[in-house]
Amino acid sequence: MMMKLTGLAFAAGLATLMGSTAMAEPVTATPGQQVNAVLLPKFLGILPFDQANRGAQEAAAELGSTGKLEFIGPTPENSAAGQIEMLTNATTQKQNVVMLSNNAGDQIAPAAEAAQAAGTRVVTWDSPIPSGKGESFFVAQVDFGSIGTVMADMAYDLAGGAGEFAVLSASPDAANQNAWIDMMKEALKGDKYKDLKLVDVVYGNDQSEESYNKALGLVDKYPDLKVIMAPTTVGIVAAAKAMQDEGLCEKVKVSGLGLPAEMVSYTLNGCAPQFALWSFVDLGYLTYHASYALATGAIKGEVGEEFTAGRMGTFKIEEDPGRPGARRVLMGPFTVYTKDNVEAAAN
Amino acid sequence: MTILTRASPQTLRLLALGLALLATILFFATQIEGYLSPRMFNRISTSAAVVLPVAVGQAIVIMTRNIDLSTGSILGVVAYMAGQLLNTMPDLHPVLAVLFCMALGAGLGLLNGLLIAWGRVPSIIVTLGTLALFRSFLVEWSDAKTITTASLPQWLVDLPSANAFSLGGLDIRVTVVLALAAVLVTGLALTFWRPARRFYAVGSNPDAAVMAGINAPRVVFTAFILSGAFAGLSGFLFLAKFGNITVVAGLGYELKSIAAVVVGGVSIMGGSGSMIGVLMGALLVDTIDNSLTRWAVVSEFWRDALLGGLIMAAVTVDTLASRQLARLRKGGAG
Amino acid sequence: MTQPVLELIGLSKSFAATQALKDMSLTILPGEVHAIVGENGAGKSTLIKIMTGVHQPDTGTIRVEGQSVTLRSTQGAQEAGIAAIYQEPMVFPDLNVAENIFISNRAKGRIMRWSEIYAEAESLIAPLGVKLDVRRAASGLTLAEQQTVEIARALSLKVKVLIMDEPTASLSAHEVARLLDIARALKAQGVAVIYISHRLDEIFRIADRVTVIRDGQHISTKPVAEVTEDGLVKDMVGRALESFAVKTAANPHGETLLSVKDLSRAGVFQNITFDLHKGEVLCLAGLVGARRTDVALSLFGIAPATDGSITLAGQQVRIATPQQAMDLGIAYVSEDRRKLGLAMPLPIFANISLASLKKLLNPFGLIDRAAESAMAETYRKRLAIRSPDSLIEVGKLSGGNQQKVMLAKWLETKPRVLIFDEPTRGIDVGAKAEVHAIIRQLASEGVAILVISSDLPEVLALADRVLVMREGRQVGILPIEEATQERVIALAAGQATSERPAA
Repeated sequence: MMMKLTGLAFAAGLATLMGSTAMAEPVTATPGQQVNAVLLPKFLGILPFDQANRGAQEAAAELGSTGKLEFIGPTPENSAAGQIEMLTNATTQKQNVVMLSNNAGDQIAPAAEAAQAAGTRVVTWDSPIPSGKGESFFVAQVDFGSIGTVMADMAYDLAGGAGEFAVLSASPDAANQNAWIDMMKEALKGDKYKDLKLVDVVYGNDQSEESYNKALGLVDKYPDLKVIMAPTTVGIVAAAKAMQDEGLCEKVKVSGLGLPAEMVSYTLNGCAPQFALWSFVDLGYLTYHASYALATGAIKGEVGEEFTAGRMGTFKIEEDPGRPGARRVLMGPFTVYTKDNVEAAAN
Repeated sequence: MTILTRASPQTLRLLALGLALLATILFFATQIEGYLSPRMFNRISTSAAVVLPVAVGQAIVIMTRNIDLSTGSILGVVAYMAGQLLNTMPDLHPVLAVLFCMALGAGLGLLNGLLIAWGRVPSIIVTLGTLALFRSFLVEWSDAKTITTASLPQWLVDLPSANAFSLGGLDIRVTVVLALAAVLVTGLALTFWRPARRFYAVGSNPDAAVMAGINAPRVVFTAFILSGAFAGLSGFLFLAKFGNITVVAGLGYELKSIAAVVVGGVSIMGGSGSMIGVLMGALLVDTIDNSLTRWAVVSEFWRDALLGGLIMAAVTVDTLASRQLARLRKGGAG
Repeated sequence: MTQPVLELIGLSKSFAATQALKDMSLTILPGEVHAIVGENGAGKSTLIKIMTGVHQPDTGTIRVEGQSVTLRSTQGAQEAGIAAIYQEPMVFPDLNVAENIFISNRAKGRIMRWSEIYAEAESLIAPLGVKLDVRRAASGLTLAEQQTVEIARALSLKVKVLIMDEPTASLSAHEVARLLDIARALKAQGVAVIYISHRLDEIFRIADRVTVIRDGQHISTKPVAEVTEDGLVKDMVGRALESFAVKTAANPHGETLLSVKDLSRAGVFQNITFDLHKGEVLCLAGLVGARRTDVALSLFGIAPATDGSITLAGQQVRIATPQQAMDLGIAYVSEDRRKLGLAMPLPIFANISLASLKKLLNPFGLIDRAAESAMAETYRKRLAIRSPDSLIEVGKLSGGNQQKVMLAKWLETKPRVLIFDEPTRGIDVGAKAEVHAIIRQLASEGVAILVISSDLPEVLALADRVLVMREGRQVGILPIEEATQERVIALAAGQATSERPAA
């Protein structure tokens, strides 16, 4: 009641005072506060993370934070160790919040717990900490269960309902890809997919050449292979290029998660007729809003809390169905791209 | 004993390497269906073609008793910047594009060379530094943009599947010819071109090189420039083959090239080695790598371990054999 | 008068505070063998480095065939016609013999015509009287063969002046003779040879003129016919040296300490049998390849014998490791100070105490620094190690002083049997005389001493008895009264003295 009556300027402070009282209404964090934040991607240098940064910067400008938003990340060859080091540094610098796309599996949990203990909040996005330890909550781009179903469906469509397909993933430590693959396996148990067979899962480690060679390896190893499903933006283009170079596009279709800008030619020439993705700009935007609200105390990161995130509307913290005991904010939805909509999205 | 001391250890090692390659191929032929096929030949030849030029440059550096750990990063920078160049200047002549790649690589190698030859900093330190430096530069420079096939001129996109000629049903691709040309030219130079013989001299006995009036720093400097230029050539082949260039392009190629060189019998202590050995080393490493990918028995995670084991085995055999030879000779000389 | 091929006029060179050369002048004639002698530190190395372009003189002029030249690098010196070979030859082990010869030959063009190169290499080596396969890699060559390669390299450059810097320090008597033959052959071709050696006997055998330098200064240049050994030594050290090459004083032998019977190591040496008495110096003589060092290594446990017996002070013993040998009181002073004997970067005191640290532990199990220094000081004075204190790095000492440090290290273990392997290789006459005196002194104190030496005058000066080996076999033991240079060489070389030593 009081919240409605008082001006926005007091909302955050009052929300803090009200503590654990049930939140019936979505919270809107007070703009203009000082939040020092770090956006920490898996590594620097690929487009999706740069887009997420764009979204986060947009949100930071909107909220008028007087603190800094830094976009820092390890180099690709040093991803896991570099992330742990950077999280620890952010803790000693007394940053208010670190937004992490985790590429270090559970190895990073102790550093995240130490950060929380020292007052630095850790919000994950894109890829969570598998055990949920040390993480305030995870901003999920999509429901991992539904991405699993979509991948299963795309494979089903491209294989014509029956046949062999294989997965070309990123690194064996990538929590998000692993979770999606598990969810896809779960979905495949459905009766609809009984004639669809997942024959192998290989890893291209987000490197073009490795992904390319692995894709060719799959084709050689499984002569009847119909689809390569690559839930990674690097893997999917590499696989599509490999099929195109070897003239295999008629026989083996590539699908998965890709960026329209990178995929457009392969979608139009039929090597990769279908793929899915969500907006990384939106993901960065939402993550910053959630983190800002958490850092200013507007929300505490508990299940059931609701908050507003600017242009994207209202979001709710909920139990993460894939990770018992952990919490998530679900962004959803994602787009399936085909030759009909890919060109528009590419520009 | 006479045979052992008389026949050059290089010859013996090449023989052993040839046998190992043959044994590997025969082994996988029994394990993988349709292994001895033109398709498999293509897979391995085109994949080895990308690493071969780097290995050639690495071999020259190792012959001079140095090492170049920055080749993977040079490859990445060159592949990326060449991709950008061809995006803005799609009409650039292919030959000029290759020359641009080699010149850019040579320029980066020049930095290594200066610091090592005249700065007197050990090559392992310098190139470990530039390994990170060039890669970080690329991360900054790229601004997180990916070079995509769509932005490249059509001739480059078509290059990896272009055939130079066919030989008894086997397709020899243009990229393979380019890589073999690098091996051949370097091999001939190392055998018949007097200035190139200095790479061996400097690595064999640096003090003696100085005494013999050889400008050792200049030789080492040249070796690093060549290594950079060859990494640049590999960068071009990498760009053509994979088309999509991110900042991780070429990551780990320095180790791949060292593996090929060491397995190919170039002594890590400098002074000896041949291009035919490097060629066979690159082929053996690539054959094993590509075959393991297609071998159902071995899981994903054991491949790297097996490759690592192979390299250690090669170096161990090398060391033991040289020690044994040295002992025989010492025994003989009293 | 003949035009001199090389003239050095008033050369001076300083390194920091040290003046290495002072107003040095020297004239070299074509086709002469010109010996340069002097103690270590007299300035010989600096002189060589100036002649080969490694260093440039501060003042002075160099003329080649009357033309004033500036030698900026080894290459520059080679182009002017001056090259050098060293005690440790500088070959490229991975390259073959022919290529080693032509590696820096610019006149040969840029393309390697291998068959031509092999043929030319053979034609350069043949006149030197050595059989060498020009296609084999240099890594298996003996030192003498490597020197031949270097000489051929110099010849291929058409040098006018060839500097030989201690070329025979590591060669056997037989190989020395061959090298001197090569020097004569060069002379006959009109090449001037600058011959630098500590071995005065060689100088008398080969040189036409001899120059003595001391403290960076030119002392004298005389035709060799006009000088005597004593006169040279006097010029070199600046005083008369009484202890040089003294004949052994009669030395009453004590009881038998070490008795070796039929000692063999399969494939290396066979049936070595001798008794070594307290206070006796037994020298092992032989050509390179006679396996003398292998016998020493067996006695010291590095390469244990496979057959035969060793009796020490009446007890039969087995020696399988150096530690066992040391526990029995056997010490081995090796020829290669760098490889086996000394830690070059460590100071003198740490090297001396290295083999006897156990004795220096205080009750807490730590090293007693004061005792360690005191011990080192004692030896520094007793053995006259030339250094202001015992804190100097061993690597900075001269060869002779390094030898003394190594000796000190072993003396501290209080050995009963001391084995010296080439104790004076590469050290100058003054230090050599001191080392000889120390060896005799130790003998007189009752230590049993085994000396391996390729320097025959040294053997004859030191030994009470001489054991001669040839190709792993014992060919005779001569009491010193019966040992002459000729007899020892005849035994060591066997019947056919011209036969090549085992390679």
